[in-house]
Amino acid sequence: MMAGGGLKKYLPPVFAAGFLALYLGPAMAAPGDEENGEAIYAKRCLQCHGEDGDGLGPAAERLNPPPRDFTFGLYKFKSTPFDEDLPNDGDLLRMVRDGMPGTAMPGWSGLLNEQDMWDVIAYIKTFAELEGEPETQVDYGAQVATSAESIAAGKTLFHADDRCSECHGAEGKGDAIKKLKNDNGDRTWPRNLTKPWTFRASNDPKDVFNRITAGIPTTQMPSFADPKSKKKLSIEERWHVANYVTSLAKTEKVVRPANTVIQAARLEGEIPSSPEDPAWDAAPPSTFFMVPQIVGETRFFTAANDTLSVRALYNGDKIGLHLEWDDRTKSIPGDPKALSIADEDLTEDAVAVQFPVTLPAGMEKPYFLMGDAAKPVNLWRWSGGTTEEAESVAMIDAMGIAEQQMRDAGGLTAKSSYKAGTWRVVMTRPLITGAADQDLQFEEGRFIPIAFFAWDGSNGEAGSHHAMTTWYWLLLKPSASARPIIAAIAVTLLLGAILIWWGRSARTRAP
Amino acid sequence: MRIPKLLQAVLVLAGVYFGFIVVFDVILEAVIPSSLLVMYMFFVTAGVFMVFTYDEEGTRELVAPIKALVEDPSKRVWRNIVFVIVPLAAGAGTYVQMQPSFEAPLELRTIHPAPPTTAKIYGKRVNLLKLENPFRKLEKEDPEQFRELVEEGAAVYIQNCQYCHGDKLDGNGPYAAGLNPTPLNFQDVGTIAQLQESYLFWRIATGGPGLPKEAAPWISSMPVWQNFLKEDEIWKTILFLYDYTGHSPRTWGNE
Ligand code: HEC
Ligand code: HEC
Ligand code: HEC
Repeated sequence: MMAGGGLKKYLPPVFAAGFLALYLGPAMAAPGDEENGEAIYAKRCLQCHGEDGDGLGPAAERLNPPPRDFTFGLYKFKSTPFDEDLPNDGDLLRMVRDGMPGTAMPGWSGLLNEQDMWDVIAYIKTFAELEGEPETQVDYGAQVATSAESIAAGKTLFHADDRCSECHGAEGKGDAIKKLKNDNGDRTWPRNLTKPWTFRASNDPKDVFNRITAGIPTTQMPSFADPKSKKKLSIEERWHVANYVTSLAKTEKVVRPANTVIQAARLEGEIPSSPEDPAWDAAPPSTFFMVPQIVGETRFFTAANDTLSVRALYNGDKIGLHLEWDDRTKSIPGDPKALSIADEDLTEDAVAVQFPVTLPAGMEKPYFLMGDAAKPVNLWRWSGGTTEEAESVAMIDAMGIAEQQMRDAGGLTAKSSYKAGTWRVVMTRPLITGAADQDLQFEEGRFIPIAFFAWDGSNGEAGSHHAMTTWYWLLLKPSASARPIIAAIAVTLLLGAILIWWGRSARTRAP
Repeated sequence: MRIPKLLQAVLVLAGVYFGFIVVFDVILEAVIPSSLLVMYMFFVTAGVFMVFTYDEEGTRELVAPIKALVEDPSKRVWRNIVFVIVPLAAGAGTYVQMQPSFEAPLELRTIHPAPPTTAKIYGKRVNLLKLENPFRKLEKEDPEQFRELVEEGAAVYIQNCQYCHGDKLDGNGPYAAGLNPTPLNFQDVGTIAQLQESYLFWRIATGGPGLPKEAAPWISSMPVWQNFLKEDEIWKTILFLYDYTGHSPRTWGNE
């Protein structure tokens, strides 16, 4: 699941440091009133966590991850050691108060006061008859401040014996080829460590230290403080790894809500056709959230892709779009490795860019979800290919989800690369095709509506089951002109002359 | 000491300007579009000018420093400085203004458009003026059954609506940030608390595509729920929306 509301909860490090003191210490629990807790639970929590606390509320099947089953009494994000089942009450308070980014679990601080939260915590503990206080606490030793050396040491430990990379992948994007399950048998995915806003707790080193030390109970993420573990780490080593994980944050992939315009710069030469061409780095990326397609028939609630970064360039006759998104799985039907980790039927990974067929004169656009009968859209759809067939690109005319017609791709081309958990796809098309009745004709300086769809073939995504965005804008930035500077000089001279004339005439009139 | 009138006027304008920015950017967390800001500031400047030049005395006081600057021989150095800076500043302003804008076009849409009097819902023509929630009367007649219906509505909501409108009904569901326009906040006093149940029924059943043009139906991600839910499920969800937020629906009686 993506991090919609979660992004807001993702605190910039400066603030995080201030809050740390609040939530990481073994917080003292205020005595909770179970009866009041039960009433709050019935109104606010039962829908997801279930009447009996078993996580089987009515929405369970549509949520990924599913709501926590409280009957085991195990909690994922705790600050007590791996061999101590009990969490600190403060850990629970934090999750209830601040919520868990990237999941459906919201932060309740706006609706519940702190005493209410203590009460409901006292109540959920009764599902597993949890009583008493944890007897041991995590030993933090002396925190190692982050530094280039510490990060380098952490990087080595992260990869040594495939310690973390075994699951989290070579670059931390959670793309290692391993099928993981939680204690209830549900599929789980290792976190993409380059997207800290999807962390349920946070990517502050102290939080990461806790995860490495205690593991993540109920999942396969183990403790690296367990003396029985072959991959055990000392306290100091755990700080190094934590500092390294924190350094992985890919900040250029953070969604900036104010950035709704993809600016295409004009190039003199050719549009780089390879997605790995460094020339693309010159174009600033715009990153958008993708949300599951839960609007049209048939709906899909658990899409895997959560963000997409777009760059654009154009020259005298072509437009080029560079799409980049993290996908843990390279889904190539027929490939045994891909088959072994796929959740359901393995289909091709795919991405599509949507444009209106004609640029709207006013603000009236086609329906954002693949157009409508009155206003059709073009979909430029790239598919990743199978062991038998190479990757391909299709031009689709759509008038709604159910009304799609594939036709000759014309001058549309696409080329992809998949590296360390990231797809990069470059699509190009001539600016003008000469068929204005069916193709969008690109114009410099106009705001062009653009939207995106993505399919993860290892997550059973095909047809109307995919992730999507709503409309954004593409702008072919006009090349610089001399007009502003000429106007500026004219205004300066004119105003200067007026002022001098005014001063003169006023003084001659003055007594 | 009194603040000179001219400085007063400048201070008022600056105050309003930063006030707008604070209210929009910080409190409403939405960057104010510059075209809107220019328009607001134009009216504010005109207003301030009118107030300050209300009587002759005021006018004289307001222009006195300007007059002195232009006419007083002892202010010569200042005059020259101002006469150079002002044209240069205007030139720079022109340069900045003339740069092509990369700001997204402003799209104004009506959030609560007037509903039609009749609408085709579930294949039937319904008169929205007469439509009532068939379960509302149970609130008094059979509170126990009413509770059950609210709970059934809660289940429909959590299975279908929370992704966007949020488990807390605050419009901040896990996918809200990826949608533009953003899902509405039902806790707010400006949404369902102002609306009749028939309005909600129409909005929920026909979704974004059912909106009239002024509400830009092509961008709303609100699904067409008559495709997914049964009629009574929508009515129960409406009961839940009011029950959870503590708002009451608007009725013809309290119009
Ligand atoms: C919309 C569904 C939803 C609602 C409503 C909800 N939760 Fe959750 N909650 C979740 C999900 C999903 C998770 C599991 C996240 C995960 O496993 O990463 C969770 C996890 C938790 C956890 C486990 C934290 C941990 O460290 O393991 C606690 C405690 C919790 N919820 C308490 C509450 C309380 C208290 C309420 C009511 C005030 C509540 N939840 C309401 C969906 C919900
Ligand atoms: C056996 C597989 C596995 C290994 C090995 C592993 N992890 Fe994880 N990790 C996971 C899974 C699965 C999750 C997601 C758990 C969940 O469902 O919330 C996760 C989540 C995380 C998180 C996210 C915490 C949060 O707040 O959301 C961090 C940080 C992390 N791992 C760090 C590490 C580090 C550092 C190492 C090596 C020392 C490591 N992991 C080794 C499987 C693994
Ligand atoms: C995919 C996201 C999404 C889902 C799911 C969704 N909505 Fe909406 N809803 C929106 C958006 C966006 C708006 C605001 C735009 C508009 O008015 O159409 C909205 C508006 C509304 C309004 C209008 C409120 C007002 O003040 O005018 C109501 C009522 C509503 N939704 C109810 C529901 C109900 C009930 C459900 C579940 C059955 C639901 N929504 C599911 C996105 C969603």
